[in-house]
Amino acid sequence: MDGLELLKKDWNKQPEHKKLTVGEIYPMLHKKSSSIVKTLFYISVAELVFWILINTVPYFTSDSFRERLDTVYADDGTFTVLTVFGYAVILLFIFLLFKSYKSISVTDSAKQLMESILRTRKIVKYYVLYNLIVAGGSLLFGFYFAFTHNPELADQVAHFSREQTIMATAVVVISTVVFILIIWLFYRLIYGLLLKRLNRNYKELKKLDV
Amino acid sequence: MNKELEHSFVELLEKHQNIAHKICRLYTNNYDAHNDLFQEITVQLWKAYPKFRGDSKFSTWMYRVALNTAITLYRKSKRTIQTQDFEGVEFKIKAQDYDDTEEQQLKVLYQAVHQLNDIEKALVFLYLEDKNYKEISETLGISEVNARVKMNRIKTKLKTILNP
Repeated sequence: MDGLELLKKDWNKQPEHKKLTVGEIYPMLHKKSSSIVKTLFYISVAELVFWILINTVPYFTSDSFRERLDTVYADDGTFTVLTVFGYAVILLFIFLLFKSYKSISVTDSAKQLMESILRTRKIVKYYVLYNLIVAGGSLLFGFYFAFTHNPELADQVAHFSREQTIMATAVVVISTVVFILIIWLFYRLIYGLLLKRLNRNYKELKKLDV
Repeated sequence: MNKELEHSFVELLEKHQNIAHKICRLYTNNYDAHNDLFQEITVQLWKAYPKFRGDSKFSTWMYRVALNTAITLYRKSKRTIQTQDFEGVEFKIKAQDYDDTEEQQLKVLYQAVHQLNDIEKALVFLYLEDKNYKEISETLGISEVNARVKMNRIKTKLKTILNP
């Protein structure tokens, strides 16, 4: 007999797992889920909050920073536009994330469900990428601003030899890149671990449909 | 959610719980992990239940939600990974059907099925549950032809295991 047919014959004869009573099932309904969607949701909310805090906390905690920033804003409309743009982007991501989470349905086919989860993860990825680019850009711009607008630093830089200038630029660029890379790797690790099994199963399903 | 809904759900789940237990048996290899997955399946079923319209049978709907939980949503908790394995896979043979060769073959087969990957297990599970290829393809989201091709490959694989 075919292996699977033999198995089929025996399948329903398997010893039943201890049958749960209605009384045992009730409390199970209200236990917390530990699904990857829930974890993904918590991580994305944490990311949203983290980057919002990074962008706003210095303003509210440091008087000198606030004063300096207020002067810059008063002098230059570009910063106001950039800030409004920054918040608009955050709102857009919140909207996209919310929409994407709503589209995850456990009653879809396995492939569809996996695709919705991966799409949500992609939105979070773009959000992180956007923030890293902004953070990298701001760091570089910050260094440049300090070198050119801080009289003490500008004076020192003016006396730099050609090699020293190259060296200083290299240090600034490399430290920015390393900073961004570390954060990026950290995210890769979190999502890599969380979605390892899902990615493997999704690849397997896609391979079937080639 | 109102009590009536909760009550009807619990009654249905109690009646059809074996579907979830079979899936847990296939995807986990110890008692704690089995209970953990069963718990997650219950939560997912309950969360989705308000949208269950009754257009399909509860059992049909349950197959999909439970399998999706096992192969996509379930996050193995650390607690359940390092506990003891079942000693092989148990199965029951009635005294009158007892056949040493068949018993041995079944033992090998159950072990072989446990070695398959998550998607192959899902295919085998639905096949053993007597689902047709249309249902299998709709549950997994692949074409009917590909479900059939893959199933044939699994059959061949199992045959080779039995007759090396």
